[in-house]
Amino acid sequence: MENKKITAKDLINIGIFAAIYFVVLFVVAMIGFFPPFMVALCFICPIATGIPFMLYMTKVHTFGQLTIFGVVMGLANMLIGDQWITLAFAVICGLLADLICLSGKYRSGSLAVLGYAVFSIWTFGKMLPLFIMRDSYFQAMGQGYGKEYAEAVLKLTSNWVFPIILVSGFIGGLIGAFIGRAVLKKHFERAGIA
Amino acid sequence: MIRIENLSFYYKRGRSDAGVNNINLKINMGEVVLLCGESGCGKTTLTRLINGLVPHYYDGDIDGTVFTHGKNVQKSTLYELSRIVGSVFQNPRSQFYTVDTYSELAFGCENQGLPVDEIKKRVDETIYFMEIEHLMGRSIFDLSGGEKQKLACASVWAASPKVLVLDEPSANLDEKAIEDLRAVLEKCKSAGITIIIAEHRLYYLKGLVNRVLFMENGQITKEFDAKSFFEMKDSQRISFGLRTLTPPTLSFSESANESHSAVLSNFKFKYKHSEIGISVKKVCIYKGAITAITGHNGAGKTTLLRCLCGLEKTAEGELWLEDEVHKRKKRLKNCFLVMQDVGHQLFCESVLDEVMISMPNADKEKALALLKALDLEKFASDHPLSLSGGQKQRVAIACAVASERQVILFDEPTSGLDLRHMEAVSKVIERLAQSGKTVLVTTHDKEFIKACCHYVLHMKNGEVTANRILKEVEKV
Amino acid sequence: MNTFLHTTAGKRHLRLDPRTKFALILCTSFTLVWGMSLIGVMAVVRPALAFVPAILLLFTPRLRVGIVYGILEILCFTAEITVFQSTTGFWNLILLPVCAIITRYMPCVVAAYYMMATTTVSEFIAGMERMNVTQKIVIPLSVMFRFFPTIVREHRCINDAMRMRNITASNPVSMLEYRIVPLIAAVAKIGDELSAAALTRGFGGDVKRSNVCEIGFGVQDIIILLISFGGAFTSILAKVGLI
Repeated sequence: MENKKITAKDLINIGIFAAIYFVVLFVVAMIGFFPPFMVALCFICPIATGIPFMLYMTKVHTFGQLTIFGVVMGLANMLIGDQWITLAFAVICGLLADLICLSGKYRSGSLAVLGYAVFSIWTFGKMLPLFIMRDSYFQAMGQGYGKEYAEAVLKLTSNWVFPIILVSGFIGGLIGAFIGRAVLKKHFERAGIA
Repeated sequence: MIRIENLSFYYKRGRSDAGVNNINLKINMGEVVLLCGESGCGKTTLTRLINGLVPHYYDGDIDGTVFTHGKNVQKSTLYELSRIVGSVFQNPRSQFYTVDTYSELAFGCENQGLPVDEIKKRVDETIYFMEIEHLMGRSIFDLSGGEKQKLACASVWAASPKVLVLDEPSANLDEKAIEDLRAVLEKCKSAGITIIIAEHRLYYLKGLVNRVLFMENGQITKEFDAKSFFEMKDSQRISFGLRTLTPPTLSFSESANESHSAVLSNFKFKYKHSEIGISVKKVCIYKGAITAITGHNGAGKTTLLRCLCGLEKTAEGELWLEDEVHKRKKRLKNCFLVMQDVGHQLFCESVLDEVMISMPNADKEKALALLKALDLEKFASDHPLSLSGGQKQRVAIACAVASERQVILFDEPTSGLDLRHMEAVSKVIERLAQSGKTVLVTTHDKEFIKACCHYVLHMKNGEVTANRILKEVEKV
Repeated sequence: MNTFLHTTAGKRHLRLDPRTKFALILCTSFTLVWGMSLIGVMAVVRPALAFVPAILLLFTPRLRVGIVYGILEILCFTAEITVFQSTTGFWNLILLPVCAIITRYMPCVVAAYYMMATTTVSEFIAGMERMNVTQKIVIPLSVMFRFFPTIVREHRCINDAMRMRNITASNPVSMLEYRIVPLIAAVAKIGDELSAAALTRGFGGDVKRSNVCEIGFGVQDIIILLISFGGAFTSILAKVGLI
């Protein structure tokens, strides 16, 4: 498939895989209800979503398919309560992933792994409000909530955690991509779905 | 008019669908043509050539030309073809884009960009013409299979196509729904639409089709006019591997009832937020026999199976097997349900693993022997999901046998199967019964019931209304 | 001919434009997440926005969800105002985040649930098209929207099959594998058939699609929009210290 244009079939495919990806993400994100895990979400989510995404990667052949996936993911997350910053991150990460995969003409397996890892960083956008608005947020928390909680969360969200979470998203993405590729080889390719 | 010249098509590697080769065919305006032949003969591919899914959706190597109403299919886009050809597919679950009936009727017209008033007029006309007022205002998820196929035909009709292509539209329908489908097709025919139907179930098309094409190995090998086709002798029909040409009927015997060996008692279940449910007081069935459960869609057949094998947690009821009571938890361990969509119940990476994890004590030798008995040994290391529908079903049956469970339930095992595969399934099920299993099968397929079932339960509105004997269990 | 208004949710008595629902969700999430604690004007704005989805759900057949959710919010807001101001220590650390999630994040999820339960795919498409969103976004989003029920149903079937076959996974990876592989396989197959069917019906052509779905703003929309934007605006003013 060498076509340069995104077809209606591609768009429907985005919708289908975005739906699966979103459901997996949503289920995994449930563990974020326990605050200690909240910071780890960036790391854990991409591991679980690697399986559907790496299958989706086998259907990607045109520039834009990953960017649109990012836009759709960002919008869908906004519709369940995320901020615009999530959308911005999802679009940028999608675009970067698209560029990475484009450099291998969408055929390279290792670039697909890298592309997914970069795309996975978008989940950081879900966390970002915690950082940008941190001070006023915790000030508010300190007033409204107990000091101890605010301090505990503050500890987990001090500046040095910031890049670590970002990198953890990337590493989670790499792990997810490898698991996804393993499952792809073990199941989907042999089942004739990929 | 449809003209196909010297056409050959092979799917790209990785798709199991059968290609076609060297097809030459002319179909006139207003003709109704039936495509028949065994599974894998290429009839689905031929329908896809006419509606343009081949080569525009399914990739492959194509040679030759197809003209549908003067349009060269290869050179037109799917969008252009959609204005001429309407398509109805086998699986009613996956052909609706929206989720409510009105939008679905309007969908095709909307895609053509027609003015809203025009669309509304057409949709209203369609509702009237197709007599589907009762379907309006309902969610598509709540419709029965037959209602969905009717809606699929109607929504295609609303876009006013010149050609209608149907790929096994009756595969998931009960008898009543098939009659309805036929009525809808008659309406389309009387409106002068060219109709091409690929089907296994043939009897309901008698008097409707003008011409019958028989396909084998991707080629059209025989052509009949309707009259000589439907007058074909049974022996000849069977040699072609075709399903019955006359509506099948069952004749029940009145022979003395031997003592039953299993009893379902007081099964009661109601779905949440719904009036639908089942209520089965006392039904006697027989060990080592095959009992069919018949009844319309929505009569509660599948629900009864689900309750029987313990999947519905809130269901009341007990199963007695030779004076041993089975409550829900025990039934869950001792019944095996072969689901209609058998792909849902296969999990492993190879057929052999699939059978091994079913065994109480994994034993490779035994598993291989079992696969051999079911003609599956050459697939032992294949991925279960890569197999065809019939093979998947046999894998599930192998798991059922391997699990050493006593009661084996089947949900519509023969929907969409050709004669040969249907007979193969009934042989396998017969062997299960002979080995002493209690077998219950929900089915619409009277040919299949005739082939292997001993008893027939009829269900209506969630109750078992009749329990009749079809034939004696042969003593082995 | 108003029959197409009915959806899976059955008869609806209060119909909102899909755009109103989008606005409600976005404003709620903005206000509740950024909004300050329950002091001054925010003590009114935050609970008010949190209760909108509960009230809306009362007009649908899913009113039980609305009632349960409403009670939950009352409890958590009360707790936030009273208990946590005075308690310290262990319970504060455990319960506070749970309450924070329920008062700050859950309203958006419930509002999204309300949207899912009451919006048909064609209303959703119509809403997006009116906002001049490109087809490249409308198509995937609407497919995604349509596929959630399908995924849930397929998941249930697979779950049933696992119970029936008594398949238990020994570790989390095979747990994920047993559930997710058949699910993806089934959904991908349905998706493949769905897109084939949609394309044969002229979907994705170059012509501008028309839409029979009538959407528009009524009184109820204006009320909800006023509450939504009013809440968001007030919370900004409160933030910069004007109120």
